[in-house]
Amino acid sequence: MAQREDYRNKIELLQGTLDLLILETLRWGAQHGYAISQAIRARSGEILQVETGSLYPALHRMERQKWIASEWRTTDQNQRAKFYKLTKEGRKQLALGRTKWEAMVGAIGGVLNPQMEN
Amino acid sequence: MRFSKLFRADDKKSELDEEITAHLAMAAAEKRDRGADAETAEQEARREFGNAALVKDVTRESWGWLWLERLLQDLRYAARQMRRSPGFAAAVVGTLALGIGAATAMFTVVDRVLLRPLPYPHPSQLVDVSEGEPGGNAFWYGVPYLDLAAWRSQSKSFAQIAYYTFSTGRSFLGGTTASTEISFVHVSSNFFQALAVGPQLGPGLPRAPESFAKSAAANTIVLSDTAWRTIFAADRNIVGKSVEVNDQPYTVAGVMPRGFNFPYDSHAPEAWSPLLLSQKDQVRKSDSSMYSVIARLRPGVKLASALAELNILQKRIVQNYTDPDARSFASHVQMAPYSAGLVEQSTARALYALLSAALLLWLIACVNATNLLLARAMARQRETAMRSALGASRWRVTQQLIVEGFLLSGTAALIGAGMGSALILLFHHALKSHLPFDVPVLLNLPVLAGLIVLTLVSAVLAAAWPAWIASHAPIEPGLRQGGQQSGTSRAHHRLRGGLVIAEIAMSLTLLAACGLLLRTIYALRHVPLGFRTDHIIVANLQIPTYRFTRINADSDLYEPLLERIQHMPGIDGAGLMTEVPLGHTFRMTLSLYGDAKSGHSTVQSNFKAVSPNLQSVFGFHMLAGRYFNAQDTASSDPVVVVNQAFARAYAPDQQNLSKVLGMQLIKLGKGKESKSGTIIGILDDFRQASVSQAATPEIEVNLPQITPTSGFYTVLEGIAMDLAVRTQRPLSVAIPEIRAALRQASPELANSNMTTMDQIVEDSYGSQMLAARLLEIFAGCALLLCVAGLYGLLAYVVSQRTREMGVRFALGAQREDVIWLILRHAGTLVITGVALGLVLAFVSTRFIRSYLYGVSAHDAWTLAAVALVLLASGAVAAYLPARRAAQVNPVEALRAE
Repeated sequence: MAQREDYRNKIELLQGTLDLLILETLRWGAQHGYAISQAIRARSGEILQVETGSLYPALHRMERQKWIASEWRTTDQNQRAKFYKLTKEGRKQLALGRTKWEAMVGAIGGVLNPQMEN
Repeated sequence: MRFSKLFRADDKKSELDEEITAHLAMAAAEKRDRGADAETAEQEARREFGNAALVKDVTRESWGWLWLERLLQDLRYAARQMRRSPGFAAAVVGTLALGIGAATAMFTVVDRVLLRPLPYPHPSQLVDVSEGEPGGNAFWYGVPYLDLAAWRSQSKSFAQIAYYTFSTGRSFLGGTTASTEISFVHVSSNFFQALAVGPQLGPGLPRAPESFAKSAAANTIVLSDTAWRTIFAADRNIVGKSVEVNDQPYTVAGVMPRGFNFPYDSHAPEAWSPLLLSQKDQVRKSDSSMYSVIARLRPGVKLASALAELNILQKRIVQNYTDPDARSFASHVQMAPYSAGLVEQSTARALYALLSAALLLWLIACVNATNLLLARAMARQRETAMRSALGASRWRVTQQLIVEGFLLSGTAALIGAGMGSALILLFHHALKSHLPFDVPVLLNLPVLAGLIVLTLVSAVLAAAWPAWIASHAPIEPGLRQGGQQSGTSRAHHRLRGGLVIAEIAMSLTLLAACGLLLRTIYALRHVPLGFRTDHIIVANLQIPTYRFTRINADSDLYEPLLERIQHMPGIDGAGLMTEVPLGHTFRMTLSLYGDAKSGHSTVQSNFKAVSPNLQSVFGFHMLAGRYFNAQDTASSDPVVVVNQAFARAYAPDQQNLSKVLGMQLIKLGKGKESKSGTIIGILDDFRQASVSQAATPEIEVNLPQITPTSGFYTVLEGIAMDLAVRTQRPLSVAIPEIRAALRQASPELANSNMTTMDQIVEDSYGSQMLAARLLEIFAGCALLLCVAGLYGLLAYVVSQRTREMGVRFALGAQREDVIWLILRHAGTLVITGVALGLVLAFVSTRFIRSYLYGVSAHDAWTLAAVALVLLASGAVAAYLPARRAAQVNPVEALRAE
């Protein structure tokens, strides 16, 4: 029971950011869940480990929100997998999320390093 | 639809499985590529992935369907539980069905009678207006045309002021032989505009303003949907055709929509035609026609302000009256919502009281079900603990138990709805004779909504508490062997004891109310009525009024009819009376104005015509003088008989009432030379309007002396007449014979309604009888439920304490001690419950006070008897468990340890 509540907390914590990371990853082409998690991990320099318990609910939720679409395809290793790709709506969300994130980073940076304003 | 969605859910589930399998496969493949062996790679991939089942669960939750899946799972589980212990399920379902059934039945009645709006748009704007003089015995009259015409031109509060008057006597629609009695109302030209309802067929009545000149519009008629369907077989070409009402031709101008009726309480087919004004309407005199007024307030105008406006106008209008009596009777205006007359206040109060009683029974049923479910929750402690141990959350456990509650109460609602319908069917006759509307047996939308609310609330009331307790019970003791005897049970017993006490208290209230009404019925049955009721058949004659203008009804119709019936075999006597006592068919009131000169005060008196032989049929007792006899004929001097109440009101000397004998009372004939009727006898008082109401003044005149020249001829002979026949023969023989005699006298009479005097008296107990019968059922059920509740609790306690009893016996306790132990436990519960119940009853029986007769609302004997009944029932409920406790075998009880 306690375990499940932990998952929920993390989803909440990461919700905006995880969506952004997934959308950004998909901007480079359709990917399946495993590849998405590996890509985020690799590009964050092994710092961000996306829990599967957060990844799959997020993917399914975004699919319902029509930000991403899915189809079954075969990988190069001949493994059938569910591939997700960005939709038009998803691209809009990504741009929006990116703007928000940059504003947030700027704002937090401003608070943490006030001397730089001068 | 639902199923396809579920199937898709299954598809999606397997798709998720595949997606995750693919994830694991790809992770493992990558690890193999980096050099791990197959087994390690797979394990590694699984470890990194985490709890796959949980991931699936969380993901599925994001679909938003999981709750449905869980609900279905819970429902299936609950259904399995019900099948596994059918006895328990039957007990809970039966208990709740009793409560829901009673409440549904009463709600159906209340909904139909009190909550249903009138069949007109914005019914709250419709008001009934009358004139009169406020004061002690205020009488409110209709309104003469000139007054309402003045209101129409001067008042600003009304959208429409319409008026109407009922056709004199009975009306028959159709041909000369197969005519049907209808309700026939003459209405003003704006009448249907005021009601805001138009015809479904045809143009309706002409809208031309009223005039005093006779116009072609006068002979148009609008039919009700019922009249159109039953008499004219829903002929779509009826408009423009000619029909006959009372032998007069009318042209059909329209058919009103189905469901429309006016007046609202009419059961018969109806027809409306334009009202004709006459020369009498151009003056304000005591004999000008009085019209009933129905007006529609302008939107937003309050009744009180409209009434205030009319009263101000009326102050000026009333100056136009020349006759001082007529002026004072028109001095004030009274206004009431048209819907207010629908149901008498006392009936409305009684219905609400009965609804409360039914809801109380329902509450008792819910408490009983709670008690049963609590016991059940204890028995299933291990199961609940096991589920919690396996990771079910408290909410999950609660949810499952509440779903079980819903299933039980849903099943109970289905049975309860059936029981409610059966109850209404059972009381159909009583309901019909005491309420203005027919109550439907089948459920309608508002009742269905009420039923659903009852079901949901029952489930929550009965199941929520046990569910909460079960889900909050500590897991560990529940899992241990023999955990049911752990410390929680003490608080638990106290809780269930409290519920039983509440049940007993509420049942006592219902029993007390029932007891008081039974006392009332007993008292009513022993009221001396003042006449005999046995072996009397009463026929309420359907008189074709319109024919009476051409004949002398008494000599041409009534006397030959009486003659024929009196000579039939087995008939001991037959008489006629405009209305038999308690008949509620027709009432005529006469105002005799007193003045200082004569020394009489003004008397309002019932006015009836009778045939001389009526006294022998009913056995009326004479206080002084004589009754009518064969020597009182049309040619002899007119005579009247009064009752004691009249003599008391009229006599100048209260010490010697017989002084009214010989007084000249009223002129029965027309013209100056006609003689006044002389009082020749004083009747002992008898009940006229209801059994519980003391006699009011009454004047009786002799039928043979009311000839067509008399001013009273039509009202006394041509509207209502009851035939009373005394016979020893069985009803099944006598009634057809009487009917045949009636048909021979006049074909319409054959349709007359026949009953017995005993039945009329029974019906006149009225709503008290209905309330008493219903309360008998409610209180009986309540008693049953609380005995069952008490028994259930004690039986449970005994089974839980078997080992304790064993120890007690082993330590030397006697059987009596153990019986005493259980009885003491039962006694505490019952006595507390009874004490609480007495307080509750003392407070709540006040609400039925207006229904009681011959007994006080706080009658000590009734309360004591009811308390005794509950104590005795409690003793019976406690006896079996106590005996079982006493029969515990100490050796076996201790060995089981």
